[in-house]
Amino acid sequence: MTSAESSRGSGRTLVLIAALLAVLLVGAAGGMLITLAKGGTDTAPSVDSVDVGFAQDMRVHHLQAVTMAGIERDRTADPILRGLAFDIESTQLSQSSEMAGWLTVWVQPDLPDAGAGHMKWMSEGGAHSHSDGNGGKTTGTVDRMPGMATTDEINKLRTLTGTELDVLFLQLMLRHHQGGLEMAQYGAAHAGKGYVRNLAQKIVESQEIEASQMRTFLAQRGAKPLPTQ
Amino acid sequence: MASGTKSKGANKPKGKSNSANKARRSVVGTARKPKPWGMIIGLIAIVALAAGVFTYAFSQIADKEQWVVSADNQDPSTKISGVVRKDYKAGQHISAEQRVAYDQSPPFGGPHDNAWAECNGTVYPMAVRTENMVHALEHGAVWVAYNPDKIKGKALNTLKSKVENQPYMLMSPYPGLDKPIALSSWGHQLKLTSADDSRIGDFIKSLRENQYQNPEPGGRCDAQGTGFDPTNPPPFVAEKPGPDAVTMDGKGATDGSAEEQGGAVPPATGGATPPATGGATPPATGVATPPPSQ
Repeated sequence: MTSAESSRGSGRTLVLIAALLAVLLVGAAGGMLITLAKGGTDTAPSVDSVDVGFAQDMRVHHLQAVTMAGIERDRTADPILRGLAFDIESTQLSQSSEMAGWLTVWVQPDLPDAGAGHMKWMSEGGAHSHSDGNGGKTTGTVDRMPGMATTDEINKLRTLTGTELDVLFLQLMLRHHQGGLEMAQYGAAHAGKGYVRNLAQKIVESQEIEASQMRTFLAQRGAKPLPTQ
Repeated sequence: MASGTKSKGANKPKGKSNSANKARRSVVGTARKPKPWGMIIGLIAIVALAAGVFTYAFSQIADKEQWVVSADNQDPSTKISGVVRKDYKAGQHISAEQRVAYDQSPPFGGPHDNAWAECNGTVYPMAVRTENMVHALEHGAVWVAYNPDKIKGKALNTLKSKVENQPYMLMSPYPGLDKPIALSSWGHQLKLTSADDSRIGDFIKSLRENQYQNPEPGGRCDAQGTGFDPTNPPPFVAEKPGPDAVTMDGKGATDGSAEEQGGAVPPATGGATPPATGGATPPATGVATPPPSQ
């Protein structure tokens, strides 16, 4: 009787272990199949995150560069500057679309609230100040981001030709690159997503090089950069 | 917890739930009760099935994700044997009249022409000026260079089929190449002997438009308006560049970045003489004339 009892007991333990294992394996396998179907999990950044603020504001900033570069590409007679303008136009349009893609996936508007100001995300979590677009410092929002050209400046670009056009384009685009640098640096340091930090860092590096080229091009034309805002 | 798990697991297989309930009710005694073979076999079947699914899913995920570029997997090409890596400073431009004394053949980074070679899956039948090809790498393209004496016929068609109409790809003969094939992406190169090598696909998957490895994410491959004509590209120059060539540290390049930020760039390999004109100023007019004839 005792031996029969113990054999039944060990059989029971075996069944229990097998059942437990089955439940665990089925759960794990199900989880993996879901992963396979979904292609990974990723939580979206919140509405007041650096990631969302950077993507929305940098889109606005980039899209103006696309406009200015398009004018230069169509109107300039200088093949080197036409190439530079085309490069800036297509690269920034592509990057702006990438950021729009992120915002779509994060279920956020792909542009910031019109009239609500910019760069609030750069004061997140403390008194970190940033340029107010007029040569001062602020921790709040600004109406115009540093480096942004006015409508008058862009309209003037549309009327000029020859060296005058090239010089104003270089001046406006150089100031635009310098203005965007601070935002890009903040994004590269503080964004939550690795791919956002990466793009911000690439913007810092490639635009610094382009800015240096534009300074050389201005000097060749005997012109000076505009004062920084 | 344990009993909950047990009843869930024990009830799952169809059929024998009746005998399982009976067995639970009479824990002691009832030696007549037969072993629940059906349930045991059912459980084993479930375990086997789950293990199979588990293994399949795991291998599929691992295989899929191995080449997917992400913030956690910024350079999948580290898993490919034979890839050479070097860090290059981006954005150093030269004019159409200048040349660069590259440190590699074919080069996969360094100063380059203002105009990039078109890289929209472009198959160049002729060898193209290297300084334009390197700019395409900066925009995220993969360049398939081959030795025209070694790669012909079927092998050439195999390579073409991987490039033609594929965005961010370009292909051209590179006379004097020391291996039959060289795949290049900015800062990365893999030299191969066979067009059927499976590493070709892995290299392309890992590095084409890789926003972590390429300096200018979103850089364009269309070349119209830049002065580069894909139907009549500036020709490859076989002769070594002269002492006035732009060096790998960017001395003589347009942006003058060598003077400002020198030091963080790879050392130049010989020919370190600065250009005779000195300074970082190309001609102001910068007309896109073809390079001086050899």
